[in-house]
Amino acid sequence: MIEIAGLNHQINSLPILEEINLRLEDGEFVAIIGPNGAGKSTLIKLILGLLPVQSGSISIDGLPHLDWLRQHPIGYLPQREEYDRRFPATALDIVLMGLAGEVGLGVRFKTSHRKRALAAMETTRTGGLARKMIGALSGGELQRVLLARALVSDSKYLFLDEPEASVDQPGVQNFFELLRQLHKQGKTIITISHDLHTLTDYCTFLVCLNRRLHCHNQTEMVNSELIHKTFGEAVRIIEKNY
Amino acid sequence: MLAYSFLLNALLASLFSSVSLALFSPFVTLRRISYLGEALSHIAFAGIAIALLLGLDLSLTTLAFVVLISLAIGWLAQKRQMEEANTITIFLSVSMALGIILISLKQSYTFDLASYLFGNVLLVGSSDLWRLGILGLVNLAFILILYKELFYLSYNHEMARFYRLPVNLVNRIFLILLAANIVINLKAAGIILVSAQLILPAATAFNLVKRLDRAVAVSAVVAGLAAIGGFAFSWWFNLPTGASIVLLEFLLFLFSLVVKRK
Repeated sequence: MIEIAGLNHQINSLPILEEINLRLEDGEFVAIIGPNGAGKSTLIKLILGLLPVQSGSISIDGLPHLDWLRQHPIGYLPQREEYDRRFPATALDIVLMGLAGEVGLGVRFKTSHRKRALAAMETTRTGGLARKMIGALSGGELQRVLLARALVSDSKYLFLDEPEASVDQPGVQNFFELLRQLHKQGKTIITISHDLHTLTDYCTFLVCLNRRLHCHNQTEMVNSELIHKTFGEAVRIIEKNY
Repeated sequence: MLAYSFLLNALLASLFSSVSLALFSPFVTLRRISYLGEALSHIAFAGIAIALLLGLDLSLTTLAFVVLISLAIGWLAQKRQMEEANTITIFLSVSMALGIILISLKQSYTFDLASYLFGNVLLVGSSDLWRLGILGLVNLAFILILYKELFYLSYNHEMARFYRLPVNLVNRIFLILLAANIVINLKAAGIILVSAQLILPAATAFNLVKRLDRAVAVSAVVAGLAAIGGFAFSWWFNLPTGASIVLLEFLLFLFSLVVKRK
């Protein structure tokens, strides 16, 4: 369970998040929605310890989040991975990165780690790409490789930051089908998304964020008024795409 | 017999120097910090001047100075939100200025500037040779033991930290070793040429092989060949050794470009 209390965050003295109080239960498929600049990525990065908490608190399973994160692996698919396309890594190397922390300083990967990485790649249907260099992967392939990296440590939490951003529409359906299966297997999934139509089919808990929290409910309780309150004018632009 | 051991010393110095720099070069290239190597070698100039003026051990004083400045650059970039490239350029110029002033103060001393700028393997004594040999071994051990950490640190240091790798620790060891490589190689390779040897072997290797572990091995072989070839060339034609080695490394780089095309 992830509990956020009184969370505020500023960047260059501009408020990004204000008074966020939120409880995410285990086993949910959580979608965080909101317009651009609503603070969605910031919220995830704060939970994951990628940004320092300025005020308020975050706890995971009853522990301060940084303590929990030091002791446990966590699955995370970033919105965009910064890397050099010519970097001499294979897809398998990138998935193994997910196990680097548990292997220990100065210790090499063993066959058992490679087997686990390949199994995670099978789950995301990238097993055949293991020996391919990362620069040779398509956007969708890379994303499924990065998802395998997020899964390989078998964390109970899986965070995704706009996973649909770099994949085309049929790819998105497959991707969310995959997430649905992982959710069925017991993973708690927390994803940021713009794609309301896809999300409402899959998620069980919706968080509407626009600097402040506008709603956090089981999906069926969210109505169009709440969505409109979160997105304001932006909601029309989104619906035009369909 | 004396001439023979003198020659052997110089050859081994060229070989150890080139190979130890080459072992580091793939990581310097991948992390795109070749400018840092360049800057640290120039910053070393002020360290040399301080050592000469105060009569301190040249290598140790210079090393301490370069490490201190490289940590200061990191600190300023992180804590004071200074642009790292600007900070490095400022320290580079200021160190050169400080070095020139200090050298001018020590007028009685006949300072062979050229040998520090371009290196001179003929000045390398047996204690320097030991240092070079040990440095090469330390480099090799560092890369073999922390290969995984260096690999992911070079790939993306933020994600490496996220996956619980001790990024700061490894990065600090990396920077200190980089500084040590530059300072200890200064006598043999020179301020100007040391940074070329931190880039060229890896640039050549990445044209020939794709995997990082192979690139480290190929870099070392390329640098070893260039060192032996460049040394022989400079001996026969009575040319400066460091410059000959760098030119030969460049020729090998051109050759690798042609091979890559095919």
